[in-house]
Amino acid sequence: MHLNRAIAALAGLLAALALAVPAHAIDIEQVYKFYCAQCHGLTGKGDGPNVGADFPVSPRNFTNAAEMNKLSDADIKNVILDGGPAASKSPMMPPWGKTLTAEEVDGLVKHLRKLCKCKGKQG
Amino acid sequence: MRPILAIVISAAAALGLTEPGHADPAAGKAIFEAKGCNACHYTQGPAREKTIADQLAKKGPELWYAGSKFQKAWLAKWLTEPKPIRPLAFNSLTEENKGDHPKLSAEEAAKVTDFLMTLTSDVVKPGSVKPKKSAKGRLIFVKKMPCSGCHAFPSRKKFKGGRSGPSLVGAGERLNPDWILAYLQNPKVFKPVKMMPVFVGILSPKDMKQVAGYVATFKAKK
Ligand code: HEC
Ligand code: HEC
Ligand code: HEC
Repeated sequence: MHLNRAIAALAGLLAALALAVPAHAIDIEQVYKFYCAQCHGLTGKGDGPNVGADFPVSPRNFTNAAEMNKLSDADIKNVILDGGPAASKSPMMPPWGKTLTAEEVDGLVKHLRKLCKCKGKQG
Repeated sequence: MRPILAIVISAAAALGLTEPGHADPAAGKAIFEAKGCNACHYTQGPAREKTIADQLAKKGPELWYAGSKFQKAWLAKWLTEPKPIRPLAFNSLTEENKGDHPKLSAEEAAKVTDFLMTLTSDVVKPGSVKPKKSAKGRLIFVKKMPCSGCHAFPSRKKFKGGRSGPSLVGAGERLNPDWILAYLQNPKVFKPVKMMPVFVGILSPKDMKQVAGYVATFKAKK
């Protein structure tokens, strides 16, 4: 009896969880690792496999809160969409506007905030 | 080797001996299957990948448009001597490419090449790109766009390019120039989910043609 009730409760809980998660939920960490880690590194330190000793410009270290705090969320979004030159930065930072969905871009902005543990410039 | 494999392979080889120089895609297909090449490569289009997970589950690049992508002479030779193309292991950002790709004899390779060259995509327009070392093409590849950030390329400078994409050193001998352009123009056809950014709407059609022509001049290392 007890067991049955526990199972029923568990099933109910699972159903509720399934409803809470939108059907198209994206795994933003996977998105980050697939596209951004090539240069920014799997943990965001700017040390991806493309970045050898002779790489012309260091990709932003996303765990550096002091640097990341200089950027607002809108700044980050713009540079992801249009690439480095849109923010007077190096063209080695690619434009991703034609590759990523709006949802993925917004998710990445939040993900970078998680990596830097910072809120960024407001406004 | 399992006996049935041996029979298929020797049958294919025998066919090759009786018909020297004659293209024999059917025999090549039999070898491709007998050698288990399709465990890692699919040969029937259109592209199947819909999500990042689909792309990451693959063990090797898709070959359903191999006949449009590769130059025949390069392909036949590479199959006998498969040197690494991607600096890193397939779908990895941390492991090096071990260079342990299965090898074929020259005879098997010729047959498999005949088979793979029949796998084409009509999105690739023959005669659309001529290899050309234009200043504009170079400017796009090394300065205006991040191509060199992810691809090794022949360079006299210290910086020889990035490592997350396939090496483009020798692209002039490996890739069909028309395919390079088609690949830039139709990312969804060839690779719906890929680590390389989509440049449609970022590079003008003219710029795409110029950078494709430039990549098509890349020589192999001496
Ligand atoms: C080809 C390498 C490369 C890839 C791939 C890449 N970046 Fe960058 N990124 C750079 C470089 C290099 C810089 C530093 C540019 C500079 O300082 O001039 C940079 C800088 C940035 C900055 C800081 C911009 C600023 O104004 O300081 C952000 C934010 C950023 N990248 C986000 C991303 C995200 C998100 C992704 C994945 C969608 C990504 N990058 C993929 C190379 C890359
Ligand atoms: C264990 C998985 C595996 C098997 C089995 C395998 N391949 Fe591959 N193949 C790969 C990987 C991974 C690459 C990428 C190699 C590189 O970049 O150096 C590759 C690359 C290729 C390429 C070049 C494709 C490109 O886009 O660069 C061809 C052609 C090819 N394989 C043909 C074959 C043939 C023919 C066989 C059977 C004899 C075979 N492969 C068996 C994994 C496999
Ligand atoms: C952020 C890294 C990155 C950038 C920037 C980039 N590529 Fe790529 N490229 C890749 C990767 C990775 C692949 C392999 C397929 C995939 O997953 O996208 C690839 C594939 C290719 C191929 C096919 C190679 C093959 O053998 O299959 C060509 C040609 C190419 N890129 C040219 C370019 C050009 C030209 C540019 C600049 C306009 C460029 N790439 C910019 C990462 C990049």
